Amino acid sequence: MNPALEFVVRLVVWLLLAPLLPGIINRVKAWVAGRRGPPVLQLYYDLARLWRKGVVVSTLASPGFIAGPAVAWVAILGAALLLPLGPLGASPSFRGDVILLVYLLALARFCTAWAAMETGSAFEGMGAAREVSYAVLAEAAIITAVLTLSLQSGSVSLCAMLAPAAGPGAALLAVGLFTVLLAENCRVPFDDPNTHLELTMIHEVMVLDHSGPPLAAVLHGAAMKLLLFSVLLVQAVLPVGKLPAPAAAGVLAAGVLAVGVAIGLVESLLARYAFRRVPLLLTTGFLLCVFALLISWDGGGA
Amino acid sequence: MSMGRLIVVAIVALVAAAMGGSRRPRWWLALNWVGTAALLGAAMWILGGGAEWEWRSAFAVGGERLHLRLDRVGGWFLVLVAVIGGAGAAYARGYWPDRERPASAGRGRAWWSALVLCMALVLLCANGLHFLMAWEAFALSAFFLITLERERREVRMAGWLYLAASHAGTLALFAFFCLLAARTGSWDLGPMRDRPGLAPLFWVALFGFGVKAGVFPLHVWLPSAHANAPSHVSAIMSGVAIKMGLYGVVRFGGWLPVPAGAGWVLLAAGATSAVLGSAFALAQNDLKRLLAYCSVENMGIMLIGVGTGLLGAGSGDAAWGRVAMAGALLHVWNHGLFKSLLFFGAGSVAHATGTREMSRLGGLWRSMPWTAGLFAFGSMAIAALPPLNGFVSEWMVYLGLLDAAAGHARDAAVIVPATMALGLAGALALAASVKASAVVFLGAARTRVAAGAHECGWWMRLPMLGLAGACVCIALAPLMVWPLIQRSLGTWNIAWRGDGTPVPLAALGAAQCALVAVVAAGGFLLWFRARANGLRRAGTWDCGYSAPTARMQYTGGSFSALAVGWFAWVLRPDRRRRWPKGPFPRHASRVERIPEAVLERVIGPVGDVVMGASAWVRRRQQGVLPDYILYLVLGLVAVGLLVALGGVA
Repeated sequence: MNPALEFVVRLVVWLLLAPLLPGIINRVKAWVAGRRGPPVLQLYYDLARLWRKGVVVSTLASPGFIAGPAVAWVAILGAALLLPLGPLGASPSFRGDVILLVYLLALARFCTAWAAMETGSAFEGMGAAREVSYAVLAEAAIITAVLTLSLQSGSVSLCAMLAPAAGPGAALLAVGLFTVLLAENCRVPFDDPNTHLELTMIHEVMVLDHSGPPLAAVLHGAAMKLLLFSVLLVQAVLPVGKLPAPAAAGVLAAGVLAVGVAIGLVESLLARYAFRRVPLLLTTGFLLCVFALLISWDGGGA
Repeated sequence: MSMGRLIVVAIVALVAAAMGGSRRPRWWLALNWVGTAALLGAAMWILGGGAEWEWRSAFAVGGERLHLRLDRVGGWFLVLVAVIGGAGAAYARGYWPDRERPASAGRGRAWWSALVLCMALVLLCANGLHFLMAWEAFALSAFFLITLERERREVRMAGWLYLAASHAGTLALFAFFCLLAARTGSWDLGPMRDRPGLAPLFWVALFGFGVKAGVFPLHVWLPSAHANAPSHVSAIMSGVAIKMGLYGVVRFGGWLPVPAGAGWVLLAAGATSAVLGSAFALAQNDLKRLLAYCSVENMGIMLIGVGTGLLGAGSGDAAWGRVAMAGALLHVWNHGLFKSLLFFGAGSVAHATGTREMSRLGGLWRSMPWTAGLFAFGSMAIAALPPLNGFVSEWMVYLGLLDAAAGHARDAAVIVPATMALGLAGALALAASVKASAVVFLGAARTRVAAGAHECGWWMRLPMLGLAGACVCIALAPLMVWPLIQRSLGTWNIAWRGDGTPVPLAALGAAQCALVAVVAAGGFLLWFRARANGLRRAGTWDCGYSAPTARMQYTGGSFSALAVGWFAWVLRPDRRRRWPKGPFPRHASRVERIPEAVLERVIGPVGDVVMGASAWVRRRQQGVLPDYILYLVLGLVAVGLLVALGGVA
């Protein structure tokens, strides 16, 4: 396919399909709880409504309060565009793009935390502090996963790293990355995306003061981030890049759907952890990645 | 103009500035700029492909003929000396002027030029004896700059600590250069890779230069010196002076045969510095101390790069070593630029409010928009966030490490943990930079001094803008800098000479430019949409809480409490609490202080033991004749025993 066309297709996929995943998760949760639940397309309706709404900004906030969500959204989109999408290879692929992906997510985190601190609210400061602190452990796990993949594939660019399967340590890597996915996207058991008025939350509390189009950017960005981690997880574990195009697309879609269902099931069946135990859980995820690394050290590189 | 003339102009101008600068501020600034511009010209000429410059005097100084040489490794560092030396001079005009600091402003100008000159001489000297002289003069002029405000006790304490630590390092360097001269028979410095017997000397040099570089745990002098010095001095200390230590490691790592374990030790020291430096930075509540610990962290990143470079050079000049070493060199520039920018920003905050205590600040963006914006820029750069320059160099270090891991290099057992440490340090540094910029500049003013702040003048603003501009250039056009790095690397290791770019810098530069463009477009779109839909100001919603006050905001201490708890084993926070008692409690307080753990928990107790032993010995020295006769007899017996045993052996 023409690279430019391919790029446009991937852009469209990321922009348009991302808000579907939270809808699917909510559907699963409703199904387990025996409720009817919100429509699968609920987030689309929300985004459309927010885009038309006015904005209320705290008197304390600087222009950075609007810039924060904008930069974070662009950063997440940029990170997503670095990922190959099954048969559609990433067109700006270069050696070391994986580090750019990790640091673009860090840029998004910086901007979200920055915007949260703008309001001078104790709640939002608390959320920002938690976000940047837990990210320390999550980032260690991600870097370990990156090392595992590059040891395994003998390469340092995303396309080549994600094409083959993760080898003998795949199961460990999958669980480790799934833990990071839950933490980075603020899902149960790290956070509860349903609560809005609790002292114990992370992401939701940071965006309490956003409204209108900036809130739409925040929500859409969060959906893209969730899809990004799901795609990363599926491609890291399954040999999507080695399959013929239609099969690769099918496997990727099925894999992302499976991750969504798994998140929904985790959220239905688990309660949120006490905050003291969150670092323990994240460390467990990190250690799983370390074990996957040790396995691929011995067996990979062939 | 020829190279020699440029250097002569620089030296003459800086000497004149140092001699006459204390009374004539304008002349001083002009002379200082002439000197630094000449240095910059010389360094850029040589990095741009000009021939290396060498000069030997006909006369002798201290028994040795002067031998000056400017090669591309020294030139790389000289650029930084010149840029920060020039920018800081302009900043000092606004920040430390005669009318506000009549006692110390003139002194500060003179020592500033002396410091710049001495650092340039350190980079130029190719004779061990003169290198030591320049090194000592550099350490002393830095001491006088740190203690400019010497009427304050903590400034004097910081100065003495710096002087003591610096001399501990200089002592090691004395040993190093003397041993080197004894083994080679000459004080001349140059490539000596063909003499494997010199390898153990690298350890001595590493200690001596490591103290200056502020490598953990040799960094004990650094936080208090950087925090208590005037901010333009902190900027040049943190941005340039500690790089002189790294220069020593790079220089002699390239000239001397390195011992087998050198790369491993550098990687281990770098990883420790990076992780613990950023953990300490996150825990600080003094803005300038936070920045100082950030320097320890960044020095760790550079050492990881240099260590990987040494490992690469040791395993058949592998390309990954070249990439990591290039990253370390670029990080020298980058860190010098944005750290000086941040210290300038911290200086204008201190100038406007009179405090560095973050829990007393807040909401400064309203009164100091320029400083706030530039400080936020610097924070993002130092957290290595794309699309800024800190990311470019850190990315190159990462790329070298990942390449080595992916290629299953022989030393992967140390490279993989170092990569993980780098990731951990990056996330901690991000937390620290959010803390520094957000607590100081965002939210509501926590005290009256913060509410009454004022923006800094143009003399302080322009240097900051200039440094930010340099950061942007490196960030958006990294490919332009590559040839310069390449020449410097080729001088360091001849095997790495060559025109090829083993790093996809063009792709990275394009990605960074695209990111800037899309961010600008996205920001404007969101702003216009918000304006079109109607933008209204109201109090912070805060879950509907009706009467928030500025004191309810999250403070710096609470922001970092979670991560500080994880690192309590090394940070050893000092907590004193007084709980409220009874139905009408009068007093309740909670004081938390993060001590400099190595200084107060290790060096302090050891020093106490030494002082105790010395006091005990002093009590034996009472001028009583029989005692001395006893000492003599005991000494003779000991010597006799030694000789007898030695004879048997």
